[in-house]
Amino acid sequence: MIVAIAICLLIVAYLMAISARDLVRLLISLELMFSAVFLAIIPLFSISPSMAFTILVVAIFTSSAELLVLITAIVITDKLRKGVEIEKVSVGGDTV
Amino acid sequence: MAILMDLQSLLISLLGIFAIACAVGSWLTRDNFYSALYMSVAMLFVAGIYASFNLQPAVVLITLVFVGAVGIVTIAVAATYRARIPRKMNLIWTLPALVIIAVLGYVYSEKSISEVNYAVMDFVGEYFLAIIFLICMMVLVMLSAIRILRRVGL
Repeated sequence: MIVAIAICLLIVAYLMAISARDLVRLLISLELMFSAVFLAIIPLFSISPSMAFTILVVAIFTSSAELLVLITAIVITDKLRKGVEIEKVSVGGDTV
Repeated sequence: MAILMDLQSLLISLLGIFAIACAVGSWLTRDNFYSALYMSVAMLFVAGIYASFNLQPAVVLITLVFVGAVGIVTIAVAATYRARIPRKMNLIWTLPALVIIAVLGYVYSEKSISEVNYAVMDFVGEYFLAIIFLICMMVLVMLSAIRILRRVGL
C-alpha cells in the first residue's frame, strides 16, 4: 500500500512537471517526487532499520541540497533572462 | 493486536489519500504560492505516515529539514514569482495516469502492511509531543504568511 501511495504521488508529480509553465512549478513537482522517494524507503525499515535510516538521511540531505541549488538557479535565471518561464530556458541554461 | 493493525492500516490509508489529494491540489492550482503550500502539506502527510510507524527521527528530519528549510524557501520563492499564467492541461497524459492509479489501488488494496522493527527508533519516542508542537508552529507560520500576503495584496 505504501508503494502504491508513493507511485500515485510520483505520477501526480510527473503530470505537474509535464504541464509546468514556469521553473517554480517545476521545482515544486521535483519536491513532490522526492516525497514519493521518502515513502518508498519505508518498506526497507522492516528489513534493515539502520540501513534504511541511513539511506533516508542521505536522501533527505542530498535532495535538500539539490533543491536549494535549483532555487539559486531560478533566481539567477530570473536575473539574467528577466523571467522564470520555461520558454526562456531554451538551451538548458548554458549561459546561466 | 489485529484491531490495532487495522487501525494503523486505516490511518496510513487516510494519510496517503490526503497526501495524494494535496499533491493533486498542488498540480491543479494556478497560483504558485498555493501550489507550494499544498506541496508542504503533502510532505507533512508523508511525515505523518512515518509517524504512524513510530519512526520519529525520520519525522523530525522530514518536517524540520525538508519542509522546514527547503519547503519554506520554496514557498518564499513561489510567493515572489506568483505567476498566473494560463497553463495548458494535457488531458492525454491524465487518462493513462488514472488507469495506473486504478490498477495500483486494485492490486495493493488486499496487501497488508509489513511489520516495522522499532528496536532502533524507540529511544526518541518521548519527543513525540515536541514534534507535534513543532508541526503546529509551522502550520501557524504558514497561515500567518497567507494572512500577511493577503493584507499586502500580492
